[in-house]
Amino acid sequence: MKVNKEPGSAHSGLSDWYWQRLSAVVLALLLPLPFFLLVAVYTGSVDQQGLLDILDHVISRLLHTILILGLIIHAYVGLKVILEDYVHTIAWRVPLIGAMLVMMATFGVWWLAIIWAWI
Amino acid sequence: MQNRPKSLQGPLSPRLSVYHWHVAMVASIAHRASGLALILFVPLYLWLLRGMTGSEDNFELVSVWLHSGLGKFSIWLVGVSLVYHFCNGIRFLTIDAGWGDSMDSMRLSARVVLAIAAAAALLLAVML
Repeated sequence: MKVNKEPGSAHSGLSDWYWQRLSAVVLALLLPLPFFLLVAVYTGSVDQQGLLDILDHVISRLLHTILILGLIIHAYVGLKVILEDYVHTIAWRVPLIGAMLVMMATFGVWWLAIIWAWI
Repeated sequence: MQNRPKSLQGPLSPRLSVYHWHVAMVASIAHRASGLALILFVPLYLWLLRGMTGSEDNFELVSVWLHSGLGKFSIWLVGVSLVYHFCNGIRFLTIDAGWGDSMDSMRLSARVVLAIAAAAALLLAVML
């Protein structure tokens, strides 16, 4: 196996690399579930009461919470790597990554609020 | 950069204007594109989820929207992106594990993954 000693444009990659793969495994297990649920609602095989019964169950709330955390980590690292590859001006890169993080945190909290029925 | 052979000089990441097109690069770019599509779907999904868990009228509204052209296209796009990103993600993980990381097997697996995504695109288009 070849050893790559070039750290890439982030100049330190192990942490990103590691988190990207760890969250990938979590998402591979959990992300198909909400898609199937959406398709089930689309086809009409799950009505609103059925959907609420599934979503309100404590297990699906916990799984959803883990999914959201994994998704934020994975999406954050993924977009960050893309930005670092194609945006070379630090003055652009840092605010873009910051704005992205703020947006993701906002959507994450909103999503958690829906799932745990805070709003 | 001094560790890389001369023939591999150039940007590390897929760059449309520099690299020649080949299937492993298409697979890599498509992974980024599908990942971006999945991220952009999240706000829409939250809106749908909010509607589906709201009143009966909200649920009805979401249901009608899902069956509109735009709704169907959204489900199709996110479905294809999910299938592709899922399969190619597993491909990347196995390559990271050192399994199938020769040039030839990487090209072959890239073809397989792209073919699965194309099949999923057709299947979803027929089903929706």
